[in-house]
Amino acid sequence: MTKYVNHDLKVSPTPEEAARQTFMSSMRMYVLHDLANGMRTVYESEVEPKFERKNKRTPKDGVEVHRALKKDPTFKFYSSMRCNAQEMVFRSILPTVERSQDTLNKKAKALSRSKKANGTVETDPNFKVPRSVSAIDVHRMPGNYDTEYGPDDVTQGAVYDNGISVFSMGFFGENLDDIGSSISMFIKNKYPKFAPKRILDMGCTIGHNTVPWAKAYPKAEVHAIDVGAPVVRYGHARAQAAGVPVHFHQQNAEATDFEDESFDLIFSSMFLHEVPKKGIKKVFKEARRLLKPGGLMLHMELPPNKMLGAYDSFYLDWDSYYNKEPFYKPFRDMDPRAVCADAGFAKSKFVQYVIPSLGQYGEKAVKDSVKKQTGKADDQTGRFAAGIHWYCFGAWK
Amino acid sequence: MSTAGADKKPLRYSVRGKDTRFFSAEGVDELVAISMALAQELWVVKERLAAYEGLAAKKKVFTAKEIEGFKFTPAQRAKLDAESQAFIDRVFFTLRERVEGLAADPDEPAPPKEP
Ligand SMILES: C[S@@+](CC[C@H](N)C(=O)[O-])C[C@H]1O[C@@H](n2cnc3c(N)ncnc32)[C@H](O)[C@@H]1O
Repeated sequence: MTKYVNHDLKVSPTPEEAARQTFMSSMRMYVLHDLANGMRTVYESEVEPKFERKNKRTPKDGVEVHRALKKDPTFKFYSSMRCNAQEMVFRSILPTVERSQDTLNKKAKALSRSKKANGTVETDPNFKVPRSVSAIDVHRMPGNYDTEYGPDDVTQGAVYDNGISVFSMGFFGENLDDIGSSISMFIKNKYPKFAPKRILDMGCTIGHNTVPWAKAYPKAEVHAIDVGAPVVRYGHARAQAAGVPVHFHQQNAEATDFEDESFDLIFSSMFLHEVPKKGIKKVFKEARRLLKPGGLMLHMELPPNKMLGAYDSFYLDWDSYYNKEPFYKPFRDMDPRAVCADAGFAKSKFVQYVIPSLGQYGEKAVKDSVKKQTGKADDQTGRFAAGIHWYCFGAWK
Repeated sequence: MSTAGADKKPLRYSVRGKDTRFFSAEGVDELVAISMALAQELWVVKERLAAYEGLAAKKKVFTAKEIEGFKFTPAQRAKLDAESQAFIDRVFFTLRERVEGLAADPDEPAPPKEP
């Protein structure tokens, strides 16, 4: 259900719509847990041994696993059902959002103007949305982040908010902010003397993972950018409703309007894997330009293929082939250290962390993880399964 | 499907560049999609029935309006959520069997040779 949308822009599904939505959370759990585990069992007990007999070695990477598994009906059912489940998640919330469209737009406008917090929002009618966003329904979300159904429209923000509420099955936390909450708590404890005055979140969508940074560092001025106008409008209204001041801008992270050396902390989450390789390089250069000396750039992402075994690489790369995430594998094939170094960050200033989810493990575990970093990812990293951990990397300037 | 008023642009429901094809036999991908949707609709009915039962237990007499407004208690909700997992498992049992069936006994007596 849309039960993790608990703010002033909450929508009210009819009992039938709510049943379709809760069903989709259960269905996704079945696909990502039962079917996914089954596929691994079939791989380990049939597909891999067959490969080994033929080639006298095990598959060396995700591509070889993929090729070997592709013909198996288990793979086909898993894939077919995962694609359908993904689309059905969005279709389960669309009628509810559609019915509330006018109300949502009115409420968002009122919240934007309200004095509940001193945030701001800027959109640009002449803004050119990059084709990597405008020409595709990323992860099968009809309308993507940028479709506008009218002036000052916030619809796609609501589609995303309610969609990920059903999609995340609880793993994103009660307010869909587990990533931002876990990582900001980790950074505060890891670097107690670090007190950023200006923070930027790149590719913020509806600011659900921006707000925790503003809460963690209440004295900081927090900015958030995204190329989608409806999502930044919605994000601003959502932050205002929470009484948290955040300044939202419709801007491209590859080339922003901000001044050189104007931020102490630049964060992003689940952003880079939706950007083409060329763009990623520009984003890192831009982050370096925007950071003050001594500032930190930190990106939460799916773990790179380099950190994973062949099967886990295949498993995460599945989205890139079949879930309208064309940039996901190219990004995960990149070496995080090299991307930072290429943008001019000193090699010795590279950082990477695997952080337990605050919602699943609690505060103590997040704080304890400050001392327990191994720099390794496992099959719980970045995946919707019991015991989820968030991977992030970046560099100090 | 659209629930928008006549003056409004309906929201987009389908994904641009629909591209999901995994089975070589024609129609199987569609059948998967259809059976998932059926499962979902059947679940809607089951949940609605549970609402009837919940209400009947509470009141003995009820109106349609009362059913529409019925809300599950947290305990009833938790029970339903657990039941929906079991329900999915039943509908898609054939896929579980594909995995669990791997545990064949090497000594299993073979059937007669197929003609
Ligand atoms: C998966 S969402 C990220 C959601 C959010 N940060 C989170 O933590 O869940 C990716 C976002 O990046 C945005 N985006 C893609 N390319 C961009 C670019 N070049 N500049 C800024 N935002 C971009 C998309 O519009 C989308 O809202």
